[in-house]
Amino acid sequence: MSFLTPAFLVGLGALAVPILIHLIQRERKRVIEFPSLMFVRRIPYQSVRRRRIRHWFLLLLRAAAVALIVAAFSRPFFQQQAKASAVSGGARDIVILLDQSASMGYGDHWTRARDAARGVIRGMGSNDRATLVLFAKNAEENMRATSDRGRLEGAVNAAKVGSGATRYGPALKLAESILSRSPLKRRETVLISDFQKVGWTGSEEVRFPEEMTISTVSVASPNTSNLAVPSVTFGRTAFSGQERIAVTAGLSNKGDQMLKDVPVTLTIDGHEIQTERATIAPHASSSVTFTQFTLAGPNVRGNVRAGSDPMPADNSFNFVLAPSDPVSVAIVDGGDRSDASLFLSKALAIGTTPSFHTDVSSSARVGPTAFDKRAAIILNDTMFPPAGGGGVLRKFVERGGGLLVVAGDRTSWPQGEAALLPGTLGAPVDRTGGRSGSLGFLDYSHPVFEVFKAPRSGDFSAAHVFRYRALQPAPTDRIIARFDDGAVAAAERKVGQGRVIVWTTTLDDSWTDIGVKPIFLPLVHQLARYLSHYEPATSWFTVGQVLDLAARAKDHTDRIVVTPSGERISQPGAGEGNEGLLELSEQGIYEVRKPGATTSAKPESLAVNLDPAESELSAMDPAELVAAVTGHATPSAEQGAAPQEMTREEAERRQSLWWYLMMTGLLLLAVETVISNRLSRKEKFL
Amino acid sequence: MEQHAIPGARFVDPKVLSRIGNLELLARTVVEGFINGMHRAPYFGASIDFAEHRGYVAGDDIRRVDWRLFARTDRYYVKQYEADTNTNLSVLLDISRSMKFASKGIAKLDYGCYIGACLAYLAQRQRDRVGAITFDNDIVTHIPPSAKHFNVVLHTLDRARPERPGNLSVPLNKMAEHFKRRGILVLISDFYEEPEAILEAIKPLRFLGNDLIVFHVLDPAEIDFGYDEASSFEDLESGEQIPVVPESLAAEYRSMIRAHIDSLTTKFSEHRIDYTMVNTAEPLDRALFSYLSSRERLMRVR
Repeated sequence: MSFLTPAFLVGLGALAVPILIHLIQRERKRVIEFPSLMFVRRIPYQSVRRRRIRHWFLLLLRAAAVALIVAAFSRPFFQQQAKASAVSGGARDIVILLDQSASMGYGDHWTRARDAARGVIRGMGSNDRATLVLFAKNAEENMRATSDRGRLEGAVNAAKVGSGATRYGPALKLAESILSRSPLKRRETVLISDFQKVGWTGSEEVRFPEEMTISTVSVASPNTSNLAVPSVTFGRTAFSGQERIAVTAGLSNKGDQMLKDVPVTLTIDGHEIQTERATIAPHASSSVTFTQFTLAGPNVRGNVRAGSDPMPADNSFNFVLAPSDPVSVAIVDGGDRSDASLFLSKALAIGTTPSFHTDVSSSARVGPTAFDKRAAIILNDTMFPPAGGGGVLRKFVERGGGLLVVAGDRTSWPQGEAALLPGTLGAPVDRTGGRSGSLGFLDYSHPVFEVFKAPRSGDFSAAHVFRYRALQPAPTDRIIARFDDGAVAAAERKVGQGRVIVWTTTLDDSWTDIGVKPIFLPLVHQLARYLSHYEPATSWFTVGQVLDLAARAKDHTDRIVVTPSGERISQPGAGEGNEGLLELSEQGIYEVRKPGATTSAKPESLAVNLDPAESELSAMDPAELVAAVTGHATPSAEQGAAPQEMTREEAERRQSLWWYLMMTGLLLLAVETVISNRLSRKEKFL
Repeated sequence: MEQHAIPGARFVDPKVLSRIGNLELLARTVVEGFINGMHRAPYFGASIDFAEHRGYVAGDDIRRVDWRLFARTDRYYVKQYEADTNTNLSVLLDISRSMKFASKGIAKLDYGCYIGACLAYLAQRQRDRVGAITFDNDIVTHIPPSAKHFNVVLHTLDRARPERPGNLSVPLNKMAEHFKRRGILVLISDFYEEPEAILEAIKPLRFLGNDLIVFHVLDPAEIDFGYDEASSFEDLESGEQIPVVPESLAAEYRSMIRAHIDSLTTKFSEHRIDYTMVNTAEPLDRALFSYLSSRERLMRVR
């Protein structure tokens, strides 16, 4: 306890006033003339009652009131509180950003980080308040601004390391948002992390205002050694009607030490299949290929585990395998030429992702059942197949099938099926005179051409076009390619759930030489994939991804999702909004079941792995991040916590104890007045 | 008897008397009322009352021989009569500062003046010679007893002002030198001295066989000490102030003043001095009775 104006304490001498009032004041209130005090003088004065204090309570009240008022004038304040306040220059609003990304699971990083968070909480003043934000790829306000240190520590104790990747941007933005709403003047952010370099790209648009400060607590270890399995690849081969898979695991040594004879184990459906030994140079990668195994069925769970180190999470890699189903494509041509569909069939015969199963038939002979169970149909320079008439082909498309119309001399389209063709075909246009035509415009935003978007990803201009069919597309049709003269080279129309693309020149060597150009094969594959709605089977996902399960299942039934930690999430199938979305926040295998399914039925499995970037533990300089956020170098956490100079006047003004003392003193005086008045009514004197 | 006398005036509250303003009128009012209220007035008018016979001795006035008795007994007897003598009345009034005290009604000095005036009036009617002496710590005024000094006495009493502290021994010693003839001395004071000192002081007054009547004038507040609030009490004599809590003092004070009065009563009676404590809140009759009793004794002179 200190006093701003201790000189006023002299006023404590006024404590004698109530006593004097008790003893003397009332006697001297007026002077009474008396003939002689001869007898009064004889009475022994010691026995006179004025020496006695009869109402101790009243005396104490008066003395306390005087003491309180004098103390109020001397402006007291608590030195300890002043120091505590000086740490922040007053009440602070603190946002504790606690990194819970997967990399914090390295060694004792998480323990140290929580200790640091608890240290910050314990260092709070009584008026300070703090918000706990746990962050990885995203940031979440775990504990809203509160002064309750117990609750804050409880939240820190309950926090666990997650599987997410590190991103500082969202966390810092959230902190800035929280602090900008704070009514307190002192606003601080404490960032507790291992400061992975990969978490900060420098392009995050986070900027703290001047009044906000950021301090950092780094728990990064100086010499980290980390072995990771960042990916696996699968080699698929067909063998006697079955698919055989060769798993190749990539290994990455992020440490400075060479790792020798690291055991790498492949586990399939819970059974260890094979263990290989690998030696990996420091800061280098290696791979291990396991022996092929036969894929028995869908949803085969696999795992590759390599060695052990302080961060075991990234030593394991999960995947789910399923047999690859070929995409069935029917090619219908005129049948009047041999090898009319040679280029197309040969192109579609190549490749495994996916593999295409093609059947070539002539339009005259094709029957209505030929369209059944086809993913896509290619009408290759032929008339409209009679079997497709009567709405058969249209219904096929409407159900989700794909139709590629390769227009040539023989292509004709009945008026009754005009709604199926994207536009109206016109007469052939001859470009043999002079310079031949070429593809002048491609809509790279279209999925077919998206893969060619990047430079040197296919030169369509190398293909020469000598003839093409004029096409007058409808306004609703999407033109996805044009020739150099502006004529439509390809247009798309969506019919029902299916897609129809018309290609206005041939896909062989009759009207164009595109069939011999390098882009032919990927172009045909892209067209076939797009029209057949091919989606490659995903063997694993990365933590943080969001899946639309409803879209994957192509149905609207209810689902139950079991997370790797055993949590069950019910997802209604016919809901609105985000019901079908699932954020993959844990590493491991997610199971998607249908309610009521028997336990023997193998559930759909989703393998989820860490972001490979989390394995990169190299740390950045926290000051660099602070400088980027605040625009200037900021003291470290220790310096930031150092007491700032606060004047005694400021401390006293903030505490304002005098006001309470004065009020209490006046209140006591009021009480004393009431009591003494009541007593004085009963007694002759006090 | 005067017809204008007011019956019962002796019982008039001294406060009412104080409004009269004229001492003579006041004295007459009181005394006439006092006398009229008596059943008999044996002390006045009988100037020659037969007392007894005694044998003639040479030198006796033959005019006082009872010849009728000589005729029956053939012996000479002389008649003896109650003497109707004139005497001196001196009013000795203490005018020290303590006498100006008045709690509610009239001041002790005024009351003393009334007593003095009334007694002077009585004496004058009796054709006694009246004189007066006022004193504090010394003699202030001295009016020798004389049949013509009644008005002067009243004037002196009326003019008396308490200005100085009092003391009995010095002025009373001086007074004793002035009294050449036996008489009645009426001492009016509040006697704020030790009883022994008081007696010592008044001894000289009795040397000539003076008949001393003492009036101890006290205010009711001096007797009852009826104060409520703690206050500072100032001694009128010395000016000294003492903080006093009456509630705690009163009982003790009352017992002390009672003891003082009792002591004075005892000691005065032991010395055959008429002592009367008068309360200024009470009518004057007690004082007059006291005087008359004393005067009766003095009148029996043969």
